Amino acid sequence: MKVYFHLNLGGFSNCYIVVNEKTSEAIIIDPGKITEEIISRIEDNHLKLVAVLITHNHGSHAGGLHTLRKIYSPKILAADWEVAGENTTVISGDGTVRLAKMIVRYMSVPGHTSDSVVYQIGNILFTGDILSAGEIGSTNSSYSEYILKSNIEKKIFSQQDNVILMPGHGPPTTLGAVKAFTADFQKMIQSPQNDRIRN
Amino acid sequence: MKICMAQRTFISANRFFDIYFFTAFPANHDYIVSFFTTFYYNKNMFTQNKCLVHYCRNLAISTFDEDGNLTDDKNYCLDHIPDPGKFKADIYKYISEHDKIVGLNACGLLFSNIDLSNKKFYGCTFTNCTFNNISSSNVILRMCIFDFAIFNDCSFIKSNSLFTSFSGATFTHTLFTSSDIIQSNFNGIKAYQSSFDDSDLFNSRFIASTLIDTSFRNCNLKKSLFYDSKRTNVSFKMSNTREALFTPEGKTAIEQDLSFGNSIVDGDRL
Repeated sequence: MKVYFHLNLGGFSNCYIVVNEKTSEAIIIDPGKITEEIISRIEDNHLKLVAVLITHNHGSHAGGLHTLRKIYSPKILAADWEVAGENTTVISGDGTVRLAKMIVRYMSVPGHTSDSVVYQIGNILFTGDILSAGEIGSTNSSYSEYILKSNIEKKIFSQQDNVILMPGHGPPTTLGAVKAFTADFQKMIQSPQNDRIRN
Repeated sequence: MKICMAQRTFISANRFFDIYFFTAFPANHDYIVSFFTTFYYNKNMFTQNKCLVHYCRNLAISTFDEDGNLTDDKNYCLDHIPDPGKFKADIYKYISEHDKIVGLNACGLLFSNIDLSNKKFYGCTFTNCTFNNISSSNVILRMCIFDFAIFNDCSFIKSNSLFTSFSGATFTHTLFTSSDIIQSNFNGIKAYQSSFDDSDLFNSRFIASTLIDTSFRNCNLKKSLFYDSKRTNVSFKMSNTREALFTPEGKTAIEQDLSFGNSIVDGDRL
């Protein structure tokens, strides 16, 4: 497995291309903006784009989908039907799917948006906007924040510390570092609300 | 708008890496940075095998075949490996013999008095490593993990780091001067008498870091985050601190000060 990283100028979001070298198949995660370079990388390496994974339906993460669909016919996975209409394979809850001969695990982690999904391929978590280095995703209300934190603790923090996080914005990190240096979780550990979250 | 820096580097003729980097400065000193980066790897990345000892949670270090090439075979961690000296020697030899190192796992190793100048590291893991007296320049780091590493008396002058994590690392007398450290993770670091002078720290994060006698003079701090950082005698002279974020959005400096103690511009010399 190879991971190619692209920084989209629109919204400074991260777009990832995950490639299975053995089959020359590729998956794009969060195509915020499709540039000529991304297309040429796929074409120059003779890759077959089999799927596009959307972590949530925001412009900086799904804005390039329209361009991409004009060129390729990939399977589109998202938790929001509006991402690509009837061409969307709507996923919900948690599960696994086999794409590009790789096992892709998806976990629904609402809070930042109702359709936020985290994808896991191998040792790497593609977290979108729900969790980045030192920050959790923005939310609209304290209830959403509570939901987001409890979901993160239940589904993300239950994994091992050496898991690598590739967020939708900002630099990469590891789960151990996020646990240690994210102020939101430090405060949560100290707050009485934490008991409710744990229970 | 005036283009003040345009850098286009082709590291390798066989398309392993190319980077386009353009920075434009409008008249009001607002930086607009735009770049596009692509990496090419010829080995699997982040194939982080766990130690073969069933109860051990450490990462295994890399193994090599008979020709000295990296393999993805499972192995033990540094604590449980039967002959640690041999594997350490193999890793040191591999680094010294190769200019481009891809997917190396060297967790927990000690690196002393070696020269990493002009080396290129792609997708390597150096978690919990100790680097003593490393003298290097023009090092290229891409998607590397240096979490909880210790750097003593190291010099990474004119290094080029992109999408790399140094989270939880400790830097003592370490120089990153004149470097491009784009979108890198320095959360939770402890830096003592270190320098990032004349560096581009675009979109890098120093959240919850402890910075003592450390300088960020003449740096590009656009979109860099210093939330909850404890800074003592830190200099940001000539840097665009207005474009960096020192408190989380929606919080005032006073609110943060109440929440996290005296972490606000404590001893900073702006």
